[in-house]
Amino acid sequence: MMNNKIYEDLSLVLSRARISFVIVRVLFVILILYFWKLQILDYQKFWLKSEANRIREIAIPPQRGLIRDRNGVVLAKNIASFKASLIRENCKNYDESCANISALLELEPEVLKERVDKYKSLPVFQPIVIKDNLTHEEVARIKSRQYELPELIVQTEPKRNYPFGTLASHVLGYLQEISPAEMDMEQYKHRRLGDLVGRTGIEKQYEQILAGTEGKLFEIVDSLGRGIGETSKINPVRGDEIKLTIDFDLQKKAEEILEGREGAVVVMKPNTGEILAMASYPNFDPNRFINRFTPEEWMDLINSPEFPLENRTIRGLYAPGSLFKPTIALAGLDQGLVNDSTTVVCHGSTVIYGHPFACWKRDGHGVVNLYSAIQHSCNIYFYQLGKRIGIEEIARYARMLGFGSPTLIDLPGEKTGLVPDPEWKKRVRDELWYPGETISVSIGQGPLLVTPLQIAVYTAVIANRGLKVAPHLYEVEIHEGQEIRRLQENNPGERIPIPEIYFEKIVQGMWKAVNESGTASLARVRDFNVCGKTGSAQVVSKATAEKLAKQKREIKTHSWFTGFAPKDNPEVVVSLIVEYGGGGGATAAPSGRELLELYKTKYD
Amino acid sequence: MINQTQIKNIDWILIALLVVNTMIGIAVIYSSSHHVPGNYYLRQIFWTLLSLVVLFVLLTVGYNLLVTYSLYFYFGCISILAAILIFGKLIAGTKSWIKLEFIQIQPSEITKIAIILLLARVFSEYKKKFLSKDAGLSSIFFVFMPVMLVALQPDLGTALSYIPILLASFILAGLTRKTLALLLIITLVAVIISWGFFLKDYQRDRITTLLSPEKDPLGSGYHIIQSKIAIGSGGLFGKGYGRGTQSQLQFLPARHTDFIFAVIGEELGFVGVVVIGVFYFLFLARLFQSVSKSRDRTGVYIIFMVAVMITSQFFVNVFMTIGLFPIAGIPLPLLSYGGSSLLTNYIAVSLVLNVKMRRFVNI
Repeated sequence: MMNNKIYEDLSLVLSRARISFVIVRVLFVILILYFWKLQILDYQKFWLKSEANRIREIAIPPQRGLIRDRNGVVLAKNIASFKASLIRENCKNYDESCANISALLELEPEVLKERVDKYKSLPVFQPIVIKDNLTHEEVARIKSRQYELPELIVQTEPKRNYPFGTLASHVLGYLQEISPAEMDMEQYKHRRLGDLVGRTGIEKQYEQILAGTEGKLFEIVDSLGRGIGETSKINPVRGDEIKLTIDFDLQKKAEEILEGREGAVVVMKPNTGEILAMASYPNFDPNRFINRFTPEEWMDLINSPEFPLENRTIRGLYAPGSLFKPTIALAGLDQGLVNDSTTVVCHGSTVIYGHPFACWKRDGHGVVNLYSAIQHSCNIYFYQLGKRIGIEEIARYARMLGFGSPTLIDLPGEKTGLVPDPEWKKRVRDELWYPGETISVSIGQGPLLVTPLQIAVYTAVIANRGLKVAPHLYEVEIHEGQEIRRLQENNPGERIPIPEIYFEKIVQGMWKAVNESGTASLARVRDFNVCGKTGSAQVVSKATAEKLAKQKREIKTHSWFTGFAPKDNPEVVVSLIVEYGGGGGATAAPSGRELLELYKTKYD
Repeated sequence: MINQTQIKNIDWILIALLVVNTMIGIAVIYSSSHHVPGNYYLRQIFWTLLSLVVLFVLLTVGYNLLVTYSLYFYFGCISILAAILIFGKLIAGTKSWIKLEFIQIQPSEITKIAIILLLARVFSEYKKKFLSKDAGLSSIFFVFMPVMLVALQPDLGTALSYIPILLASFILAGLTRKTLALLLIITLVAVIISWGFFLKDYQRDRITTLLSPEKDPLGSGYHIIQSKIAIGSGGLFGKGYGRGTQSQLQFLPARHTDFIFAVIGEELGFVGVVVIGVFYFLFLARLFQSVSKSRDRTGVYIIFMVAVMITSQFFVNVFMTIGLFPIAGIPLPLLSYGGSSLLTNYIAVSLVLNVKMRRFVNI
């Protein structure tokens, strides 16, 4: 400075200011270095995060595979449906949103919150389904308020539809929302909370084949989650179709036969095990409760005393009654205890072990041999024979013929039934076996329990003259238009260790029962050589009796019929039970005839 | 009032740097807000023109005159702050309150100028080698008043932005180790007390979030996380002007105001950060270098306090966007959108120019 004296000496403060600026320069260098770290060294990490930020993955549900009958009739398909979902992230005020949405969709606010709570583990940006099966009017209402309520969105999804309603409902099963327990299972690891999965029947059994693979849509979104555009898309893969062995017409007929009467029908091919019809009544219409929120209708079905959701063909347990007599006859023949010439005189009743045992025909059958005993279903013959065979051997032959173990049909929830023996009684009831019980078992009563499907398989074994058969509903699956058989046909073709000749004798007796004025004569079909057996199972259990009393119903026997045709080279087996139907010959046999007749006209 | 020599000595380079940085700010404001209603960039241009006019008009008044009347400015500001606090509270909860809220911000910004002028006056005749007790306590008192009033609004960020001005004056006055230690202890005690009694939950969250933003990624950590993602994902060259996904898709909060530097980082990349950083550095360097161009102590204090005020806000803001400082709600001087902040900074620079242009004038 040229005239220092005028100005005061500021060197001290100026040096302090200079030092401060040095600090500023250092800070600048630190700042640039930090930006170097963020933008150059950590670039990859942050770039991925920004992409994840802006790109949202949206699941596109796949179409579930169709289910068809053996001739291609579609039994289960998909229709478009709309669902409303809530994106919690977009709620400005959660309570306010709930209030608005509950008014808009006519849902109770508590119900709405309950639904949202159910999925609270999901990330906040993921839509939570709050109402499905929306009407067009509801869709319009939501769309019109899209900008006020960005948290409420409408999504389309394919919805399962069963075009024939109740038809084959027990075979097909139904869908329900995946449960938290299932979410943890290996088999459902690719599924999402809120997905619908097969709950029973074929829908459950072949879930993996039918479900298909979910598609993905990658969408650019802003921070409010509003979609701005798509980036890429992976198309969903439609589930494979399944063609069942079911024959639409036979199935329909079987259900018509049962209509109004509790019971079950199985129609199958004895040589291959293909199930042509499988009916159970009462039935249900699965269309009415395929949604996420258990409606009253479903609860009603669950709580109904008639158990309409139960598939009686595989889950109904009944005493086989006279249908068991061929088992006793086979055991007797195989053990060499009887032959064609062995006869018994039936007086209508007899006394064994000091207890009276009656034949169904009070006047008695007179002299009966093996054939006439089956033909007329004479109890006395089988009491005597059963007594000689003994319970252990009866149980062994019963098991050999498929009783007491599942048929392994491709349906979930099959029951095994029960073949009683002293060991069982000791284990379960801790009681000794009374000899009198053997007598009851000889005519298919007592603790003996079978399912209608077991009866059908047993009948098929007789029709096959001892060849085993595995019943099944899966015929083939169709993958991209190509038929492929992914599942090994589980047909053992094994022979039961009883000589074929003995089966031939049983067949002969069953043929007489139908064609020579036996108990099953109402099942006769002209030119079809039907062989059959009826049964009238006494309803003895205390629980059942109480149930009947509650319903103020007359206590009748369960009415059974099982049969096959034609006698040589059999093509079809029909087994059916009508609960409390009375005598098998009067009630079940004519129904059997209707099915056999239909089979004959359609396939012969 | 103003003569030829003074006009000749106006630091046009400083004005140029000021305007260039402001224009960079306007460009980034446009990029980050053109897709939302509000025309923020147009409003910022208007404020820039207005601020330039004020800047030049103020040059006609000698800074010594301004310092002489500083006590009046100061008490004027204090009474406005107090009035707003009382008045604002009376009508809280009504709609007109929001309008009042908008005005509230303005006096607290302008108050910075009053504080600078008052502190310049306090220290203008200060000849001691180190800060004395009297000068220290009186200046602490003068700054503490507006800090309290603004903190009660509550606008803690702005309130705390007064502290660096006070610190700047202390640095020039000279701090012994003893004073420094004392100041640190006082700060520590103040922090502990305010943490326990005065800070609101969200303010505490902002500080704890700094330590671990990942703990609450959608809550208090959201802003820091999104801002860091924006900057980091910019890479070397950035995503392109107007093409930052974080900013354009609105993941980034307060894009055109407090987090404007994150937009720069995302859209212009490391290269953009360095270029804009250099321009900013040149501006700050020019301010610091101007300190030696003052003919008197008053001028030295004024320029240094202005430089420290703007520098401290710059660092607080940028450190905030990269998660090294709690979210304080302090705008980036010149670059962020905001009329009152811009005007205040222009007035501050005007004071610097005022001091420099009068350096050859005899008293």
